[in-house]
Amino acid sequence: MEPEIIEAEILLPPALSFKKIQMSEKYPKGQSRSRHWKHLKQILQAENFQAYSPEEPNYLNIESPPSAYPPKKFCDITGFEAPYVDPRTKMRYANADVFKRIRYLPGDSIQRYLSLRNAAVVLK
Amino acid sequence: MSSRVTRPSRQRDYHRFSPDSPIVIDNGSSCFRIGWAGETEPRLSFRNVVQRPRHKASGETVTIVGDYDPSLMKYFDCTRSSFRSAFDNNVVYQFEVMEYVLDYGFERLGAGGSEVNHPILMTECVCNPVASRSKMAELLFETYGVPSVAFGIDAAFSYKYNQHLGICNDDGLAICTGLTTSHVIPFVHGEPVVEACCRTNVGGQNITEYLKQLLSLKYPLHTNSITLEKAEDLKKEHCYIAADYCSELKLFQRETKEAEEKTRCWQLPFVPPPQEEPPSEEELARKAALRERQAQRLREMAAAKRLSKIADLEADLNALENLMSQLDAAEEDEIPAILYQRGYASREEIESAASKAAQSLRKVKGEPVDAEEKAEVSLEEKYYLVNVPDNMLTPEQMKEKKKQIFLKTTYEGRMRAKQRKFEEELQRERQNQLEEERRLENPELYLEQLRTRYKELSEKVEQRKRPKTNGSHTNGNGSVGRGERLNAAQRERMRLLTTAALDRGKGEDTFGAREEDWQLYKLMSRDNDDDDDNERDEEEAELARVASKLQEIDPTFVATTDGGALQGGSGGAAADAARGRPLTAEDFKISLGVERFRCPEVLFRPAMIGVDQAGLDEMAGVSLRRLSAAEEVLEGLCRSILLTGGGCLVPGMGRRLEVDVRKIRPFLSAINVVTAADPVLDAWRGAAACAASSGFPQQVFTREDYLEKGEDWLRRYRMSYIL
Repeated sequence: MEPEIIEAEILLPPALSFKKIQMSEKYPKGQSRSRHWKHLKQILQAENFQAYSPEEPNYLNIESPPSAYPPKKFCDITGFEAPYVDPRTKMRYANADVFKRIRYLPGDSIQRYLSLRNAAVVLK
Repeated sequence: MSSRVTRPSRQRDYHRFSPDSPIVIDNGSSCFRIGWAGETEPRLSFRNVVQRPRHKASGETVTIVGDYDPSLMKYFDCTRSSFRSAFDNNVVYQFEVMEYVLDYGFERLGAGGSEVNHPILMTECVCNPVASRSKMAELLFETYGVPSVAFGIDAAFSYKYNQHLGICNDDGLAICTGLTTSHVIPFVHGEPVVEACCRTNVGGQNITEYLKQLLSLKYPLHTNSITLEKAEDLKKEHCYIAADYCSELKLFQRETKEAEEKTRCWQLPFVPPPQEEPPSEEELARKAALRERQAQRLREMAAAKRLSKIADLEADLNALENLMSQLDAAEEDEIPAILYQRGYASREEIESAASKAAQSLRKVKGEPVDAEEKAEVSLEEKYYLVNVPDNMLTPEQMKEKKKQIFLKTTYEGRMRAKQRKFEEELQRERQNQLEEERRLENPELYLEQLRTRYKELSEKVEQRKRPKTNGSHTNGNGSVGRGERLNAAQRERMRLLTTAALDRGKGEDTFGAREEDWQLYKLMSRDNDDDDDNERDEEEAELARVASKLQEIDPTFVATTDGGALQGGSGGAAADAARGRPLTAEDFKISLGVERFRCPEVLFRPAMIGVDQAGLDEMAGVSLRRLSAAEEVLEGLCRSILLTGGGCLVPGMGRRLEVDVRKIRPFLSAINVVTAADPVLDAWRGAAACAASSGFPQQVFTREDYLEKGEDWLRRYRMSYIL
């Protein structure tokens, strides 16, 4: 190790005296390290929330409901309020200038703009 | 940036704390804070991330927790490792990463001995799933040998701490915006009402991410400069929450002076490309002289070559003439021998060779060669057989005639092409003259016309190119299908290809038996489908012509392939216009106008980033509804709304919430929004105060408790927040 690194003390020591089980024992080298954990979705599924009373708060039922306000549409490029939608690209736009610009945008940046509000075409 | 990379040093006073004094950990998804109960500041605070790069020199994988000086990066190979977080939406799910973070936290706190012999108070999110909670408890018990553990909600600690400071009341609402989630927790009689909580999965990270994406889309040239760290800095420095989003937008849309003042600029380092200095006089003279010298040398060489050739030819000619005179002088029977000796068959042959040599000599000497003229005059004579009927000719003459016909037609064709070229030249000349006249007549009008013509043409050409370049992207969203893009010929080609591909192996293969079968390939070939190629070429040629003309007479003209300058709202066109002219510092300026308040707005309108949930203002309403309490209680809650969590550091948050909560409350009801004393650290401070209280030992559970009482007990386990 370079002295600079040792001086900066950025590395975690591989063995620590206060641990009962060291990292290397728990996750031995060479063993497949893939997936000894669950995604949040899987954790929530395993929680089996529907078995409990809906009155009881849990991670899922404390989530906010969808907004009750009428959704406002904003221009994808400028952010201004957007009265129009381009039927070809499905981009929302504020005025003719922006529309022109949309028509000159390459396809992938259009998709990136759309994916910002989760509206991009996802090919499966 | 610099403050973030200071690494915490190892604490030296660990051994002075008795085994009873609890260690307090605020395990936030952005920051991990660890310290001792009863103290006012956490001992350590670092980013809750782990990176496991490979050390270049030794090749071993090392573990780095938190942020570090990027200059040390040169020793590590980070291509296959990035920052990893143990959190997903505020829930710990990757316990391997969590263990590294805890290792580092305890190690820096100075832990020694064989185990961490202190009770632990750790924060978690509201309604943490039991699986996550029990795994965390297990990790602390099994791996670190912790005697007892307690869990509490970070926002609740923060609220209690601020209540302790007198900033908020017994009853109130805690609005907590974290890295990836936002919570609203109502407090009644000083206790959080978890049943009435609500969570939206939007937080400070979404703001940063949104800002980064918007800027890199607006300035495609600088995508590499706009990193997540930079976006984070820009957010902290410039973002604010508009009191009224829509009117703020209108302010910018109308391009008012106020909007201009609110626009911030970020100048990227720009190094102008080295200017090419016009060469000096001497340089020019020196180059000209050099060129002249070279030309001179070439001329001399050519002259020498010519002289030697003339000499050769003269010698040849002389030799032939000598031979002729020799022949003249010789006896009749000696002639064949002389001829044979010199390699000639007859006297005529010598004569023709002599005339040829004489002609070449004339040519080399630069004397006029009158062969062409002769041909001109004697076209009829030269091709004398062409007009003679076939039946009057011998077979040999027939052959000769055919040859002559061929020669004559090619000659005529050449002449015609020459004529046509000449006429075209004339036509162009005339057009140019006409244009020149128009220009002189009214220069401005002419320039304007030229410009519109250029714009039209460039648009046309551009339009034509578009479907080719990005057709595949628009594919699939209904209105622009594949079929629409292809013209009839292209469709036919596709049909042929598919039938050819699917036809194989069906029945008897008779392909190729007939001659027409092979025509198929011609139809299939790609060149076949560009019917409008000619037209396109013409347009492009015309475009080039107009552009060169414009360049000649209009000094301000810039050849863009873009349809024109687009200066709407944001200066996004700058990067587009940059093509075709040298870049200036202006192109390296990133302006933040609407983005300054557009990005934090996602907290209030999660729909802007595609999250279909209520924003902060509505969440307060949802929480109050879920409480289903008497109106006086709700009134009391709204009198003490506390903002906490790193996300509420954006300026303007309190004012905006006040305005928005007023909308959902009855007319003239009291509303008071306050910001926590320290939105970032108060959660830890509250927890530290709680851990130091006399009631804390009753709140903790041991490993035996946990194993004995089972999961259901852990599900119901709830801390009571007494400071």
